[in-house]
Amino acid sequence: MAAPAIQLHALSHRYDTDPVLRDIDLTIEHGEIFGFLGHNGAGKTTAINILTTLIAPTSGSAQVCGHDVVRQRGEVTACIGYLPAEVRMYGHLTAAENLAFFATLSGVPHPRRAAAETLAYLECADLANLRVSTFSSGMRQRIGIAQAIVHRPQVLFLDEPTTGLDPFGVRQLRETILQLNADLGMTVFMNTHLLGEVSKVCTTIGVLNHGELIYKDSIEETTRRFPDEASLEDIYVRMGSDSA
Amino acid sequence: MSDQTVTTRVTGARRARVLAIAKHEYRAAVRSRILLILVVLLILVTAASVYIASAGYAAKLAEYETYRAAAQAQGLDRIAPTPLAALSLLRGPLEYLEIIGAVIAISLGYLSVSRERINRTLPLIRTRPVTAGEQATGTFLGAMGVFATLVATTIAVGIVSIGLLGRDWVNPGELFQIALTAVAALLYLGAFYCLGAIATAKSRFAANGLVIALGIWLLVVLVLPQIGDTMDADNQLPGGLFQALALDHDGELAVLQHFTGYERIRTGIEEASLSKHFERFAFAMSDVKDRYRPYNLPWLLNETRNDIAWLLAYAVAMFVGLRRSFRTQPTIPPGGTP
Repeated sequence: MAAPAIQLHALSHRYDTDPVLRDIDLTIEHGEIFGFLGHNGAGKTTAINILTTLIAPTSGSAQVCGHDVVRQRGEVTACIGYLPAEVRMYGHLTAAENLAFFATLSGVPHPRRAAAETLAYLECADLANLRVSTFSSGMRQRIGIAQAIVHRPQVLFLDEPTTGLDPFGVRQLRETILQLNADLGMTVFMNTHLLGEVSKVCTTIGVLNHGELIYKDSIEETTRRFPDEASLEDIYVRMGSDSA
Repeated sequence: MSDQTVTTRVTGARRARVLAIAKHEYRAAVRSRILLILVVLLILVTAASVYIASAGYAAKLAEYETYRAAAQAQGLDRIAPTPLAALSLLRGPLEYLEIIGAVIAISLGYLSVSRERINRTLPLIRTRPVTAGEQATGTFLGAMGVFATLVATTIAVGIVSIGLLGRDWVNPGELFQIALTAVAALLYLGAFYCLGAIATAKSRFAANGLVIALGIWLLVVLVLPQIGDTMDADNQLPGGLFQALALDHDGELAVLQHFTGYERIRTGIEEASLSKHFERFAFAMSDVKDRYRPYNLPWLLNETRNDIAWLLAYAVAMFVGLRRSFRTQPTIPPGGTP
C-alpha cells in the first residue's frame, strides 16, 4: 500500500522556549485538498516550513510521500512544490527564465519547454517574456504558482495563497487548484484564512489552535456534524470558542 | 539498473544544478547596475593608466632604437640590451585589480546573498533538491565566470594599449606569464568574493555584512601592506636603499640577515595581507620590479612559491568558509516567516 501523501506523528516545534506546534498527529491521503485553518500565530506556517524541509521539528516526525523530512530531505524536495506567503521571484529575469531556473534545479529534463508548458497551462503564456519586476502582485502570484508546479510535484504546499489577490484573482486561484487536483492528481496542502474559499476548494480541513490540532475531517462530514451553523466561518468560530 | 548507473545519474543531476546556479549568478551579475558601474570604472582607469604609461614608454623605446641604430652604424660589437620591459606597463591595471577588483568581488559576494534575501527566493531554492553546498559551489563558479571576464578584459585592454600606444607587442612567453597572473587574480578575487558572501550570510542585516567585509578589505588591501612598505628598509630612500648601495638581490639578502627579527615581524605583517601575496606574484610575473627582470620563469615561480601557496591557501579556506556559511545560513529567520 502506498504511503500517505503527508503523515505527522507527535510533531512538535518550539522557537526558543515558545511552543508553536504541540504533538500533532495528522494523515493526508494522496489526491486530497487539505485546508489548514487557524488564527494568526497558530503555527500553520511553521507546519509548512517543517513539511517543506525548511526547518527541522523540535520533536516528533513528519513524512511526505513516505519520506522523512529530516533524514530524506532530497527525496522529499523532489516530490513537493511550494508557494510561500509572499512571492517575489527574481525581478531581473523574465517569467520564463525564472521558471526554467527552478525547473532545472528540480531536475526537469527540458526546463525551457516545461516553463512554456506551465505558463500555457495556467493561461498566462503572455507573461513569459516580461520581467517579473514589472508584475503586479496578482501576476507575481500566478508566476509563483507556476514555479511551484513547473516540475509537476506530487504534493503542493500553498501558504496563504490568496494574499494580495483581488476577488477575480482569488477565483482564478481556486479554479487553478481544482484543475491541478483533477488533471494531475496533485495533493494540495493549503494554509488560509479565507473560509469561503476553503469550503469551495478543500476536501478536508484541519483546525489549528495555539499549536494544537483541534479538528480534522472532510468538508462534508464537518457540515453534517455542525448542522446548525450557516457557514464554515460559523463552525470555525464555534470551534475556537469551544477550545478556549 | 546498476549502482554505477545510479551514481552517474546522481552526479550528472548535481552537476546540472551547480551549473544552473552558476549561470544564474553570472546573469544576475551582468544585469546588475552597481556592478556594471564598478566594472566600467575599472576598465576606464585601466585604459587611462596604460595610455599614460605607454606614451612615455614609446618615447623611451624610440630613444633606445635611435641609440641602437647609431651604435650599429658605428660598427660596435656590443650593444646594451634594452632596459625597458613592456609588461611593466601593466602595473597600473594590476594595482587597480588589487584594489578596485577586490571591492567589486566583495560587492558581488554581498549581492549574491542579499539578492536571495530581498527576493525571498532562498526558501524556493531550498525546497528543491539542492544542497547548501551545491548552492555555494554554483554561486562561486558563477562569480569566477564574472571575474574571468573582468580580468581578461582588463588585461586585454592593457596588452592592446601597450601594442598600439607603446609600440611594443608582448611575446608568447610574456603572454604565458600574464596568463599565470590572471589565474592568481582569479584566486585573489575569489577569496574576496567569499569574504563578501560570508560576511553577508552571517549578518542579520545584509548591509552590515557589506560594511564588515569592506572594513576587512581596508585592513588587508590598504593598511597592512602600507605598514609593511613603511617598515621595508629598501623603501627608506627614493629609488631604493639597496640600489643606492649598488647591491644585487643576493647582496640585499646578505644585509637583511643582520635584521632577522625585524624582518620576521615585517614579513609577518605583510603575509597577513592577501593583497601583498597577489602583488608580489603579479609584479614578479609582469617585470614590474627591476630585480626580477633578469630571471626566467622557473626561477620566478620558485622565488614566489610562498606567495602562490598563500594565495591558494586563502582561496581554499575562504571557499570552505563560504560552503559552511551557506549551510548554516537560516532559510527562515528565527521566529517564523521567511
